[in-house]
Amino acid sequence: MTEVSIERLTKTFGSARAVDGISIRIADGEFISLLGPSGCGKTTTLKMIAGFEEASEGAIRFDGKDVVNVPAEKRDIGMVFQNYALFPHMTVDQNLAFGLEMRKIAKPEMLSRIAKVLDMVQLGGYSDRYPNQLSGGQQQRVALARALVIEPKILLLDEPLANLDAKLREEMRVFIRDLQRRVGITTVYVTHDQAEAMTMSDRVVVMFGGRIAQIGAPSDIYERPENLEVAQFVGQVNLVRGTILGGTITGPAGAGKSRVASVFGDVAVDSRADHAPGTAVTLSLRPEAIELKPAGQGGAQGKVMARYYSGSIIDYRIALDSSETLHVQTFPNIRIAEGDRVSVHAPADGFWLLGAAQ
Amino acid sequence: MMPARRKGLGPLILIAPAAVLLGVFLVLPYLNIVVMSFRMPGQGTPYGAGFTIGNYTKFFVDSFYLLQVANTLWIGLITTAICLVVGFPVAWQLARGAMRFRALAYGLVLSPLLVGIVIRSYGWTILLGNAGLINRTLTGMGLIDRPLPLMYNALGIVIALVHVFLPFMILPIMAAIQGVDPSLESAARSLGASRFTAFRRIVLPLCTPGIQAGCILVFVLSLSAYVTPSLIGGLRVKTMAVTVVDALIDTFQWPWGSALALMLSVTGALCVVIFARLTRMKWKVGRT
Amino acid sequence: MKRPVLTLYCLLVYAFLLAPILVVVGASFNAGNFLTFPPQGLSLRWYVTFFHNDVFMRAIRTSLWVAAVATVISGTIGTMAALYYVQHAGRWKEAVRIAMLAPLLLPEVLTAIALLFFVYAIGIGTTTMIGMVVGHVLITLPFVFINVSASLESFDPSWDMAARSLGAGRLTRFRRIMLPLIKPGVIGGALFAFIISFDTFTISFMLKGIGTSTLPIQLFDYLRTNFTPEAAAVSTVSIVLTLVVVIVSEKVLGLRIHRF
Repeated sequence: MTEVSIERLTKTFGSARAVDGISIRIADGEFISLLGPSGCGKTTTLKMIAGFEEASEGAIRFDGKDVVNVPAEKRDIGMVFQNYALFPHMTVDQNLAFGLEMRKIAKPEMLSRIAKVLDMVQLGGYSDRYPNQLSGGQQQRVALARALVIEPKILLLDEPLANLDAKLREEMRVFIRDLQRRVGITTVYVTHDQAEAMTMSDRVVVMFGGRIAQIGAPSDIYERPENLEVAQFVGQVNLVRGTILGGTITGPAGAGKSRVASVFGDVAVDSRADHAPGTAVTLSLRPEAIELKPAGQGGAQGKVMARYYSGSIIDYRIALDSSETLHVQTFPNIRIAEGDRVSVHAPADGFWLLGAAQ
Repeated sequence: MMPARRKGLGPLILIAPAAVLLGVFLVLPYLNIVVMSFRMPGQGTPYGAGFTIGNYTKFFVDSFYLLQVANTLWIGLITTAICLVVGFPVAWQLARGAMRFRALAYGLVLSPLLVGIVIRSYGWTILLGNAGLINRTLTGMGLIDRPLPLMYNALGIVIALVHVFLPFMILPIMAAIQGVDPSLESAARSLGASRFTAFRRIVLPLCTPGIQAGCILVFVLSLSAYVTPSLIGGLRVKTMAVTVVDALIDTFQWPWGSALALMLSVTGALCVVIFARLTRMKWKVGRT
Repeated sequence: MKRPVLTLYCLLVYAFLLAPILVVVGASFNAGNFLTFPPQGLSLRWYVTFFHNDVFMRAIRTSLWVAAVATVISGTIGTMAALYYVQHAGRWKEAVRIAMLAPLLLPEVLTAIALLFFVYAIGIGTTTMIGMVVGHVLITLPFVFINVSASLESFDPSWDMAARSLGAGRLTRFRRIMLPLIKPGVIGGALFAFIISFDTFTISFMLKGIGTSTLPIQLFDYLRTNFTPEAAAVSTVSIVLTLVVVIVSEKVLGLRIHRF
């Protein structure tokens, strides 16, 4: 199996730097996602790994061997395209056989490999169908099968679920993730959907403007975002102003924490860097971490401006008396109506220190 | 997105044969004909030595030719207008009608294109002649005493030209109408527009490029039509294209014929430009 | 039908479009010496006359030959040009398109005349059929180009990338992926070219040499002086030939809309 290492990879189009010196090491068998808004360079990066775009600078190594000058057809990659790119004039079988023919695999082995992979993607009886006779989800699985049947070094997926409806998309997330685990193939997955990246990946690479903003495990990205941009991209956040207080926090629970004064009182907040006492800082506060109680039960006081019911959760907009607005998400087991006054409680572990206020 | 463009001269090999063909056998001949139109008329040869602008002054001085150009333009204009009026409803039906026989109807529109222009014009001579099908039928029914003059006049030419070029009007308009999302009309009507207003304010402006393309195509084609006017018009009504070809084939007056052909083409092109200006649309050559 | 008036109107137009063609076919079975109405009985005599008429038979052979040669040449050149246009032309795209469509946009009479003078100017003249074939290639080229480039535009570049990712080299990708997928466009374009060439008049008329008349020219000449139904028989055979070409290419070469 294959380890991929990307070093200071750069792609320029004219004077624009679509990808600007990124470095990533992908371990053998790892599932890594490139996550970012459109135009952040994630697809260009994927295309450079695949060999469809030439790298302007930097190196791409598969198991230590630089492949920058190897053409796409010789890189031994499996790729799944956003629109699947199934060959419309070939049946499912012929689509799967194509890559094996290019590798001059003998007929009997070819047939057994195709059968095995089709079985794996649960399309046993569909060999003779043409792509346009399949549903979107089935086409998706054929595309996956076509990429896997050649037993490539690396599997590359370019927003493969973007064209599916919401329910199918969630099923396919699990399906692809399980399949990848079973096959154990090194996988690079490009998406702009943070939930997709979170549920599927071992690690997520968040990209903005051609650069890497943060690399880390999904929980790391979500709970300890590098900066405001990352925090806002991977989920909804409330921003709370605060001021660093002097004095140290003792005890094991206080390691790496700063004491910050805020509307929610003094809280011990996780942070990556130390700030001098008196520094104005921005804290992030996740909506689902906040707890609402009837008015007068301590915490910050505020008023419910709006309430949005969506089944499994309820969203609230709360206007704090200190003039800040909060977005709160709770389970629908408390009955609070629009216009009610509430007490807002935020546990210390719901905060994260993003950095000095701008 | 295109596959990464390969550098170097490789791809140019693909366009080279076409470039050579068009360069040698289209551009050079056109340059040559312009030069030819300034040559001296020959004595017993196609052209003489030296250059003159006499061919053009002859054209502008002689009202016979000016009249003939006007006549040709007039026939082209009428043909185009009739094609538009006749063709638009058909294009609409093809694009929007819920027909079971759409493929057949489409085939019917295309079918004249599969039949040569000589044969189609011939068909019209059978229909329109003094002893032709139409006149025989009408006299047989006692509706007329003498045959109607349907042939050897501008009327016959226009009828046959409309037939010959109608598909060229219908096809681009049909394509344009198909390109207009029907929900736009629904949207206009939901906003209170009548069916007619929705058509006039929404659909018509959006398919104007198709109408323009169809009109220009039919107009240009009818200006340079030779076979139809020649067979239907006979010796009595001549269009410019007929005169030009006869000047070359029968009398070998190459410089004079060249000047005539160029004047006809330039006038036609001017008309197209004026038309495009009048309809005030960005004009893209041949985009349908 | 929802709108009877529109439907009726369209039927009338279709009748108008078909009328002269049907009349010609009908007239070819006229037993009389002239195109008289009503016909003096049905007969195939004019077909027999036609098949024994060397001039017409030679003209048919010439037409088929010129059309075949012109189709092969303009099919090849036009397909190559379309490939360049869609995949490599870059910012020259619009210029290439206009240049390729030029023979269609310029008046055919003018092109024919210009070409006639030119073949004499460069000394080829009309003793050989080179001039006529070149003319036919010129006027059929746009039709090949339009059809092939349309099918290339609907060719999804990710198909090519997918084939690359599966290990296919450039030639294999062209042969196994692109060619089958643009085949309908290539065949459609060639079919158009063949029919246009077979039926075209003006270009052939100007560039014909002695004894190299094509069928439309021979028919035209004949019609200027003769009124027998033989011309109708010739026309009908010509129409049938065209239909045969269309049907054969549809059945054999697979112009049909693909199953996919």
